[in-house]
Amino acid sequence: MSRFLFPRWSNLLLPTLLMVGAVVPLYAVLFVAYGFSPKTLEVGYQPNQPIPFSHELHAGQLGMDCRYCHNTVERSGFAAVPPTQTCMNCHTGIRPSSPKLEALRESATTGNPVTWIKVHKLGDYAYFDHSAHVNRGVGCVTCHGRIDRMEVVYRYAPLSMGWCLDCHRDPINNLRPPSEMTNMTFDMQSLSREERESLKSQFLIKPSEDCSTCHR
Amino acid sequence: MISIPRPLIYIGGVLASLLLIPPFAIGWIRETQSTGRPVHIFWDMDMQPKFKAQAPSDLFADTRAARPIVPGTVAVGEADLDPHWSEGVTANGDWAISLPAQFKDVDKNALLARGQERFNIYCAVCHGYAGYGDGMVNRRAQALMDNADGPPNDTSWVPAKSLHDPTVRPQPIGQIYYTVKHGVRTMAGYGSQVPVEDRWAIAAYVKALQLSQDASLQDVPPDRRAGLKKP
Ligand code: HEC
Ligand code: HEC
Ligand code: HEC
Ligand code: HEC
Ligand code: HEC
Ligand code: HEC
Repeated sequence: MSRFLFPRWSNLLLPTLLMVGAVVPLYAVLFVAYGFSPKTLEVGYQPNQPIPFSHELHAGQLGMDCRYCHNTVERSGFAAVPPTQTCMNCHTGIRPSSPKLEALRESATTGNPVTWIKVHKLGDYAYFDHSAHVNRGVGCVTCHGRIDRMEVVYRYAPLSMGWCLDCHRDPINNLRPPSEMTNMTFDMQSLSREERESLKSQFLIKPSEDCSTCHR
Repeated sequence: MISIPRPLIYIGGVLASLLLIPPFAIGWIRETQSTGRPVHIFWDMDMQPKFKAQAPSDLFADTRAARPIVPGTVAVGEADLDPHWSEGVTANGDWAISLPAQFKDVDKNALLARGQERFNIYCAVCHGYAGYGDGMVNRRAQALMDNADGPPNDTSWVPAKSLHDPTVRPQPIGQIYYTVKHGVRTMAGYGSQVPVEDRWAIAAYVKALQLSQDASLQDVPPDRRAGLKKP
């Protein structure tokens, strides 16, 4: 009667299983932490816009200030995406029949808005306010990146609650004089700690962490 | 030496290398842009039956949730009853030559500083920071006009006028204000982009800019004259 004998190598199974048992949960945790993080899922969203509008050209090469187009940014919570009329200030004369401006012409003749696709979008339960930030010295570039180098805008920051709170708990390193709010190339290192502290006290900056600041 | 069966080693190796794919995929996704909509795992209350600013709506044919003003109506408090303030003309129809009374108690240096900032945002792209009509957009448009094969895509550009042009320099502040609000000939109006206080600030700054490029020694306060250098 031949009996089944486990081969010698099966002695290795137990330590191997223990090792796998230790590694797999760690792997799963890291996978969820990194793979499901907004930095993976949200950052880098770059939808195809109806018009190949380039910030690299308009804000970069032509040096237009952000507020020429996003003109409500200092006054209201919302940074208005410009209406067709703003583009027509120039494009009635500059390349009016360019094929790239097809959707703009259509909008100008029908009066319907250009269907820009929103790149930065918080959940409907969260309320962001631009004027509260830019007028207190948080520059566009801190949250939107080098827009003046983007051919097509993409999402630069995760816009998660953790990201908001990281800054609200310690804003000092992100402060600059409000006059530099739209300056994409402002050298943050050029401000000393004391200058930042004085900006902070000058504008009484004490970002709130209360839930009702951002959730209503 | 214990000999492990080959197939087991292969299977183990394949499994281990499969585990390497997700980290690389995550790294790849993090480093690149994509046109795919962001994946939301929990939708919670992300999409609520309400409209935030500039949101689209299916209710209306033009897809705007924010309704445009009905033609012929005026919102409460938005009636322009003061022609000086809203159009830059006096009651008898002449161009205003002074700031409206609303600015009586406003610090004039702050007003000019504001005007400078606004001018640099809205006007300098065409007229240039010093107002000589050499802004980047103007230069770019001129380059298109000078294109060897003729202006591309029906471009037709009238050069942005120098604000120190003899026809512009004598213009009263009310006329500058009117130009900012309604535009002039080929220049579009900035009334919808610039609120009325800022239009006056810009107009005041344009007058100061014109003066700065056309000043004589008599215009400098006597105690400052000594510090001036000869060009
Ligand atoms: C010539 C007008 C113009 C100028 C100047 C301009 N923008 Fe824009 N911007 C647009 C338009 C049009 C869109 C919508 C299309 C798109 O997303 O590309 C937009 C979109 C954006 C978005 C994404 C909005 C969303 O959907 O979430 C951001 C962020 C932005 N702009 C920031 C800036 C910043 C920062 C500057 C200054 C450096 C700037 N813009 C200058 C016209 C302009
Ligand atoms: C202040 C003037 C100005 C405004 C406002 C402006 N543009 Fe432009 N735009 C230009 C200039 C200058 C060019 C470069 C033309 C060239 O040299 O090819 C340009 C080029 C373009 C092009 C490339 C055209 C082509 O055929 O290569 C597109 C697309 C465009 N703009 C879209 C827009 C949109 C959309 C808006 C409104 C959000 C807008 N622009 C507002 C001045 C302006
Ligand atoms: C503190 C971070 C922060 C700063 C600073 C900031 N933004 Fe934003 N921006 C956001 C967030 C968050 C959103 C998404 C808002 C939403 O979905 O409600 C956004 C959205 C936008 C949009 C899309 C329209 C909207 O309001 O939802 C535009 C355009 C824009 N920003 C332009 C700008 C410009 C121009 C500046 C600088 C003058 C600027 N932003 C500064 C965080 C910031
Ligand atoms: C880079 C820094 C930074 C980031 C990122 C940031 N904030 Fe702020 N936030 C500030 C500062 C600074 C203030 C001004 C606080 C003050 O005036 O006391 C502020 C103020 C606010 C206010 C107004 C509070 C009030 O008292 O009026 C709101 C609302 C707000 N933040 C929401 C958000 C949300 C939502 C996000 C994330 C999408 C965010 N913030 C991300 C720095 C930041
Ligand atoms: C500085 C602004 C800010 C403050 C303060 C804040 N939140 Fe948030 N919260 C956000 C933002 C931004 C989001 C994410 C929106 C998104 O993902 O689009 C969020 C998301 C959430 C979510 C949904 C999470 C999810 O993934 O579905 C909950 C729940 C929440 N917050 C609860 C709270 C509570 C409770 C507090 C008070 C202790 C609080 N928040 C304070 C900005 C804030
Ligand atoms: C898109 C480019 C552009 C921008 C931006 C612009 N202008 Fe002009 N402007 C022009 C052009 C072009 C003319 C010449 C119009 C003509 O002669 O047909 C002009 C002419 C003028 C004139 C002379 C009017 C006259 O009676 O001859 C004044 C004053 C003026 N602009 C002021 C301004 C001010 C102030 C701003 C800022 C709010 C501004 N412009 C912004 C293009 C521009």
